[in-house]
Amino acid sequence: MTAVADRVVVLDGSTSPSREVVGNKGRSIARMLSLGLPVPPAFALPIDECRRYHAAGGELGDETWEAVLAGLRDLEERSGRRLGDPARPLLVSVRSSGAVSMPGMMDTVLNLGMTAEVEAALARLSGDPEFAGSTHERFVEEFAHTVLGADPDEPTPDVPSDPLDQLRAVVQTVFGSWSSRRAKAYRRHWGIPEDGGTAVIVQAMVFGNLGEDSGTGVLFTRDPLTGAAEPYGDWLPGGQGEDVVSGTHDPLPLGALREQLPDAHDRLIEAGRLLEREHGDVQDVEFTVERGSLYLLQTRVAKRSPHAAVRTAVDFAEEGAIDRREAVRRVSAEQLARVLAPRLPEDAAESAEVVARGTPACPGVASGLAVGDSDAAEAEPGDVVLVRPTTSPEDVSGMIAARGVVTEHGGSTSHAAVVTRALGRPSVVGVGDGLAAELAGRELTVDGTAGVVYAGRLPTEEVEPGAVPGLTELLAWAEELCPVTVADSAPELVDLDAEGLGVEGDETPDRAALTERLRGATAARGSVLATAEGARAVLAAGVPAVVRLPGQPAAALLLRLVQEMSDVEEGRNQ
Amino acid sequence: MVRYVGDIDLLSLHALAVRKAGSPAAVGAVLGRDEDEVARALEAAVANGRAAGANETFMVTPAGQAWLGERYPEAFAGLRADPEATAAYERFESINRELLALFTDWQMVPGPGGERAPNDHSDAGYDEKIVDRLGALHERAEKPLGRFAQLDPRLGTYWERLEGAYDRVLAGEHDYVTGARVDSYHTVWFELHEDLLRMLGRERETAP
Repeated sequence: MTAVADRVVVLDGSTSPSREVVGNKGRSIARMLSLGLPVPPAFALPIDECRRYHAAGGELGDETWEAVLAGLRDLEERSGRRLGDPARPLLVSVRSSGAVSMPGMMDTVLNLGMTAEVEAALARLSGDPEFAGSTHERFVEEFAHTVLGADPDEPTPDVPSDPLDQLRAVVQTVFGSWSSRRAKAYRRHWGIPEDGGTAVIVQAMVFGNLGEDSGTGVLFTRDPLTGAAEPYGDWLPGGQGEDVVSGTHDPLPLGALREQLPDAHDRLIEAGRLLEREHGDVQDVEFTVERGSLYLLQTRVAKRSPHAAVRTAVDFAEEGAIDRREAVRRVSAEQLARVLAPRLPEDAAESAEVVARGTPACPGVASGLAVGDSDAAEAEPGDVVLVRPTTSPEDVSGMIAARGVVTEHGGSTSHAAVVTRALGRPSVVGVGDGLAAELAGRELTVDGTAGVVYAGRLPTEEVEPGAVPGLTELLAWAEELCPVTVADSAPELVDLDAEGLGVEGDETPDRAALTERLRGATAARGSVLATAEGARAVLAAGVPAVVRLPGQPAAALLLRLVQEMSDVEEGRNQ
Repeated sequence: MVRYVGDIDLLSLHALAVRKAGSPAAVGAVLGRDEDEVARALEAAVANGRAAGANETFMVTPAGQAWLGERYPEAFAGLRADPEATAAYERFESINRELLALFTDWQMVPGPGGERAPNDHSDAGYDEKIVDRLGALHERAEKPLGRFAQLDPRLGTYWERLEGAYDRVLAGEHDYVTGARVDSYHTVWFELHEDLLRMLGRERETAP
């Protein structure tokens, strides 16, 4: 028999458990702790306990429960609070934490330990009865749906009032979710063995709404819009957890935290610096300040704009955190395409006639002759813009044929919005009654980024790499690394499009056939060379040069080649 | 307990209206009926001026739409008065609202500045969360769709097609969430919605 101590992993920085034991989320908490960062006290039930649960036919064994109680006692000691104690209430979050993430796993239950007495206590402590009430309500709803499996379309069933009963039920739900229908289907598809499991992470909740020196926020270690090497973020004084993420409150910039709580601010910035160095990439850190004490809740690689992706990749390489090849790989072909996408000149709105405004649905700029139905869109030989009252499945072929789409009705979830985004056709929706008939037959330019439709075909501007911070450096590195030259012309070349080996709609020719055709060629040209398949064929056949087509940016070809080269060398497929 | 099945002339034209255009084989597949039987009904509809086309592609004419509009209330009177159908439809609508938001989240990622940008699928964690939400909604949809299939067995084909789309999404074929060229979750769901609206005589909550 295993001792209780082996069945629970206390997360306090004293040990460094692997992801095979405590899963990804547990590992992430342990990693922050090992850097000496302030994280709310937590413990993990290791993945082995999940295996035991299933080996016992879906029963939580006494020893496992003992382990939960031991972990909880430690948590209570470290936090100075107790589960269900109105005098010093402890609330916890419970999460699944697998070594591989997959759909169907129970995600999170927050605010566990909430009871009527605790709600009253929390109302007193926070001076905010409304907050206490809504926290209780949210817990009941979350518990009912996640743990009791209540259908959201039906009334909420009763939730256990004893916090230990709540905890036991959530632990069982996390373990049980390993064998949920969705998780099983996912493992079957991806050949993931059935004998794995998930850990359970139980962590003390901290509160950003306890008094004046409290609040919650998000830190980006660099500006996610421009990529500039300066911290960026939101601070919501008196805010709790999901208030920031959900966007229901308007947060202040990070400078407000510096003024209000300079110590917490400086520790936060320092923590961000440490995490960025540890992970070698820009971090997005969720934090809460409870009565002046800073707590880090989560860190992950930050999302960023395409411009920021270019700039941060170059900056990290120049700072020595990553090598040049990694920098090139961090900018995807899609991001580069968006950075280089031709755009309307800044003064277009002033000099051109605006004929309609609506909801921007799919970004980008497109021009053409406005036609009122799909048959005309398909029949018209030149560029067309499809203008419709609304769209339905019968319009899809017309939308494919069109450069852009405008509709009179509907919003950002309308059929037209969903389909144009799927097709990558710039679109503006909901421009108002009767405009379709009025616009048909005119030349139009659709600005799907701004939600504006202009009269006439407006010229777009090419973006020069020099105008994008970091791009010149990145392209120079890609050129250095790339064994293939990208040229504007070549004395002799294989023209893949002319030979029927081009991209047709979404279909690309078979890579083996491409490689075969390219073997021995001194240069190649074709629409397929901008795709991963084409780049891999060029590399496999050892073609020394590719020649760009009009509208095919050299930068895109170059980046694609280097990325595919790196993936092939590391044995990554697709 | 199959309760509501209309006549083949009405059903063929109805299914054609739902699909917007199609061959007897495609319409037959939606109805779960024999292709030849559907072909005869569609040819008769052409003769009556209710449909246009021949062989492989038929479409409903404006006269056909008007005829359907006149026939629907009587043809589906039983279904429209059935509280079970109404209850199932209410559930469908509640799932529909969440599903539409999910489609937007799938295609457009909320960026750091709050503005949404096209999902370039570079963030696997983001995509996984949405696939998981889709799974939860898919499971929630099983009940109302099962109810509809009991009321009218041909509606069972939608569940099979949704299962097919969801299965491909799980297997990593991302185009099956909202792709326009394939039988994606969005494609099938939109068609099902149109089918139900017509049968039950309802209006969309928001413009399509």
